[in-house]
Amino acid sequence: MKLVLLLQVLSAASSAHLNGPWSAALDLAGGQLPFDLNMRSSPLGGQLCNANTCQPFSSVRWQRDTLLLEMADYAAAIKATVHGDSLTGFYHNVGSRGPRTIPFRASRGRRPITPGPRQLLGSWNATFFQDLGTSPRVFEFSNGRRGLEARISSNTSDYGPFAGTTMADSFALGLFDGSFVYLLTGKLVGDTLRGIFHAGLKSQTPWVAVRSSGSPHLRSPTEISSADTSQPLRFGFPDLSGRMFRSDDPRIRGKVVLLEILGSWCPTCHEATPTLLRLYQRYHSRGLEVIGLAFEATGDTAVDAAQARRFRDKFNIPFPILLAGVNDEQSIAEALPQLRDVTAFPTTVFLGRDGRVRWMYAGYHGFSRGKERLLEFDKQVVRLLSEHQRR
Amino acid sequence: MLAGVLILLARNLPAQVPPDLATERAGYTAWLKTAPNSPLAAIANQTVGTGLRLGPPDSDIPLAGLPEHQVLPGGTTLMVKGPGFERPISRGHPFRIGRYALYLSGNGTGTTLTVFGDSSAKDPPGYYDYDPSLVFRGPLMRLEHPQGVRVLASDGMDAEATEVGSFSIPLGGGTQLRVLRIPVAGSEESDLEIFFQDETNDKGSYPAGRFVSLIPAAGGQFRLDFNRARNPYCAYSAVYPCPAPWRGNAIHAEIRAGERYSK
Repeated sequence: MKLVLLLQVLSAASSAHLNGPWSAALDLAGGQLPFDLNMRSSPLGGQLCNANTCQPFSSVRWQRDTLLLEMADYAAAIKATVHGDSLTGFYHNVGSRGPRTIPFRASRGRRPITPGPRQLLGSWNATFFQDLGTSPRVFEFSNGRRGLEARISSNTSDYGPFAGTTMADSFALGLFDGSFVYLLTGKLVGDTLRGIFHAGLKSQTPWVAVRSSGSPHLRSPTEISSADTSQPLRFGFPDLSGRMFRSDDPRIRGKVVLLEILGSWCPTCHEATPTLLRLYQRYHSRGLEVIGLAFEATGDTAVDAAQARRFRDKFNIPFPILLAGVNDEQSIAEALPQLRDVTAFPTTVFLGRDGRVRWMYAGYHGFSRGKERLLEFDKQVVRLLSEHQRR
Repeated sequence: MLAGVLILLARNLPAQVPPDLATERAGYTAWLKTAPNSPLAAIANQTVGTGLRLGPPDSDIPLAGLPEHQVLPGGTTLMVKGPGFERPISRGHPFRIGRYALYLSGNGTGTTLTVFGDSSAKDPPGYYDYDPSLVFRGPLMRLEHPQGVRVLASDGMDAEATEVGSFSIPLGGGTQLRVLRIPVAGSEESDLEIFFQDETNDKGSYPAGRFVSLIPAAGGQFRLDFNRARNPYCAYSAVYPCPAPWRGNAIHAEIRAGERYSK
C-alpha cells in the first residue's frame, strides 16, 4: 500500500516535470529521425508533432516508472523513462511478422529553428535508386515556422510534413506519426541534391534530385492499377460484426460502389477518409454506396477488428468496413484476384451499376493533388450514377 | 591479488546485452508467447486442394477434442463446415473453431491452411550469452547487376528477393556471405538478410541454419551482429517449410550467439 502511494507521488512529481516541449528522435541505423513532443502534466497528456502538424497521443500514462505514450490508431507506443531533462526508451508496434522496436530519446526544450537555404526551396524531381531499377519522387521544400520542411510525392502517395534540422546545405528531415518511420537526409552539391531516404530502422535508399522542369515526373494515379472488366468484381469478406458481406449483397446491387482498399495502420488512409465521407454524404441518396476493405496489420482478428472499429468510430463512418486480409500485395491479390498491381494504400475502385470496375485511383495525394482528386472523384461518381443499367 | 581475482571473474562473466537488443528480444519473446498466429503455436500446415477434414484421428488434420470440420472450396471462397454451420473463411484472419485458429494463405490450388493451437504452452528457445566479438563491420560488396531471386523468407513464405552482394567476415578462415534484400510486406522497408549455417547447427542452434540482418552503419559501412541471429519459423514448428541453405553461406566456425534451439 505504502509502495503504491509512493509510486503515485513519484509519478505525479515526474508528470509535473514533463510539462512543455521536448525535442525527440528515433535512432535509426543511418541517423536520427527528429520530431517533437508537446507534453502536458495536468491532466497528463501530450502530442506528437512533425513541423506544425500535431496529433494527440491516445493516452499518456505511467506504468510504474515507465512513461507510456500510446498511439492506439496504429497499435503503437513509446515507452520511456525520465532521467532529469531526458527521456530514453523505445518505440514499439506489431506487424504481421512480429514486433518492431526502435530506440527513442528526447530532451527538454525546443529544437533550434533552422531554415533551409534559398537555393534548396521549391520543387525537385528525385530519382530513388533501388536494387533492380529506379523510382520517381517529387520533393517540395519550404521554410515554415519551425524551419525547413519537406513534402514528398510518389506515384501513389504524399508524405509530409518532414521537419528537422539543416546545417549549411545539408539537411535531416524526419516524418514519424506513429506508423510511418521516414528520414530524408541530403546535401546540395552544385545544382544537384543527393541523399538517402531511410525507412524504418534499417532500410536505406539513395536518391538524386534535380530542379523540377515542369513536365510530369510521376505516373498518373489512374495508370498504376488495373482490373479484369469483363465481368462484375466478386468479393466476400466478413464485416466488423462477423457477418459475411458479398458483392451480390442487396445493399449494393445495382448501385454505384466505391471500394476503398485501406488499412487502419495507414496514415494516408486516415487523411483520405474525409473525401470519401463527403462523396458518400453528397451522393448516397442518389445511389452511391461505399465499402471499406480493410487490409490490417497483424493478422490477429481480435486486434485487427478493434483497430478497424477504432478507425470507423474516429470518422463516424456510416458505410460497411470489411476485414479483407493482411496488408501486403499478395494478400490483396489473393483476396481480389480480378485486380492487378494494387500497390497503394488507399486505392479506390469505382464499380458501375453492373458491378464491373470502371475506374481505379491509386493512393492519396493530399497536398499536391487533393482538390484535383476530389473533383475527379466527383466527376466519376456523377458519370456512373447517370448510367441506369441494372445488374 | 583481489584485483586480479576480480579481473578473472569479470572475464568469465557474460557481457551484458545492450539495452536495445534486450528490449527487442523481450518484445519478440512476448509476441511468440501470446500472438494467436505465433509460429510457436502452429500445429498443422496443409494445402487445401479439393478440401480437408479436420478433427477426428483419421482426418487430414487430426485435432484433439474437435468434432469433424471440413474446409471446402465454395465458388470464389473457401467454406468451413462444422456441426450445424457452414461459413466462409477469409484470408489473413483467424477462423476460430474450439481452441484452434485456422489461417489461410496462398491462392488458387496452392491455398494453404495453417492451424494454430495454444502458444503459451511452449517456451521460446532462448538466446546464447551476448558475445561482442561476434559483431562485424565492413562494406557490402555490391553486385554490379543485382539479381531477382525467389527464396523462402524466415517465415517460410515465398518471397521475391534481390541478391545484392556479399559481406566478408574473418571467421572460418574468411567467409563471404551472400546478402539478399527481402521486402517487408506493406511498407517501403526491406531487410538485408543473410541465411547462414555454422558449426553450432544441431549442437545448440537450429540444424538448418539461422537468419541475421545486415544493418547499415556510418560511412557507407554495414554491421553484422550475430547476437541478432534468429531462427526461421520452421525451428518453432515443424509445420513450416524450411528455407534451403543459401549457397556459399556455410561458416566453418561456431557462432555461439543469437537465438538457440532445443528439440
